[in-house]
Amino acid sequence: MIGIGLFFLVVAAVGMVRLPDVFTRSHAVSLTDSLGAFFVLMGLATYHGFSTNTFRILVVLALLILVNPVISHATVRAALRSGQKPVAEDRR
Amino acid sequence: MNAIYTKRLAYWTAVLFVLWLMLSESFNALHMAVGFSAALLVALLRTDLGAERTYVIRWWRALLYIPWLFSRILVSGVHVSYLILHPRLPIKPVLFRHRADLGSDEAVLLMGNSITLTPGTVTVEADDEELIVHALDEDSTGDVLSQRLEKMVARVFPAGGGRR
Repeated sequence: MIGIGLFFLVVAAVGMVRLPDVFTRSHAVSLTDSLGAFFVLMGLATYHGFSTNTFRILVVLALLILVNPVISHATVRAALRSGQKPVAEDRR
Repeated sequence: MNAIYTKRLAYWTAVLFVLWLMLSESFNALHMAVGFSAALLVALLRTDLGAERTYVIRWWRALLYIPWLFSRILVSGVHVSYLILHPRLPIKPVLFRHRADLGSDEAVLLMGNSITLTPGTVTVEADDEELIVHALDEDSTGDVLSQRLEKMVARVFPAGGGRR
């Protein structure tokens, strides 16, 4: 579980370097949080069997899943409003 | 300071205090006093005097929604990983507008967050009628454009539930 999580974290880091602009990079970031952190935390939660720490990790995970899209959305929206030109086909 | 306010305040204090106890696991007087104060403070800050928002949520559907969303996240996560690791970086980003008649703020929130949480798509703007979405390539846009996501969200929050 932790290994799978680490794989996604590494891929996301590579993506941060390779992708061209803020908008595409935000996709790499959502990879970290929704899959990387999920698998690492789930792996940790089950590593030593069930204990109160499992519950704590699940709380962290729930907060992460709530907060992560809000942050990504805020970043991308601010980028677009401040006039960043996305490397994208515009179909609005 | 009416009865409903007091009741709500007591409810949230109790919930937060129980959460504190579960997380701290120390039951001496000092820790419990600090925990109770913190719970009360947060409850005071969050409980407003106005009417509680009313919205309809189908819990059964919400429970089904989470594993469904996770499976979609997994699929698109693998797809995005492939795009990133591909030597030629075959991305073709698009910015598109999606009209969604969801009916309530909670549904827009859930839909926007789900889009952003899924690798490959990010919600750039969101309001009552439409979302502007940035996607990494054509394949990533699938669930939004086919209105599949929209239908799943509409099942959790039936339309017209929370329109103020």
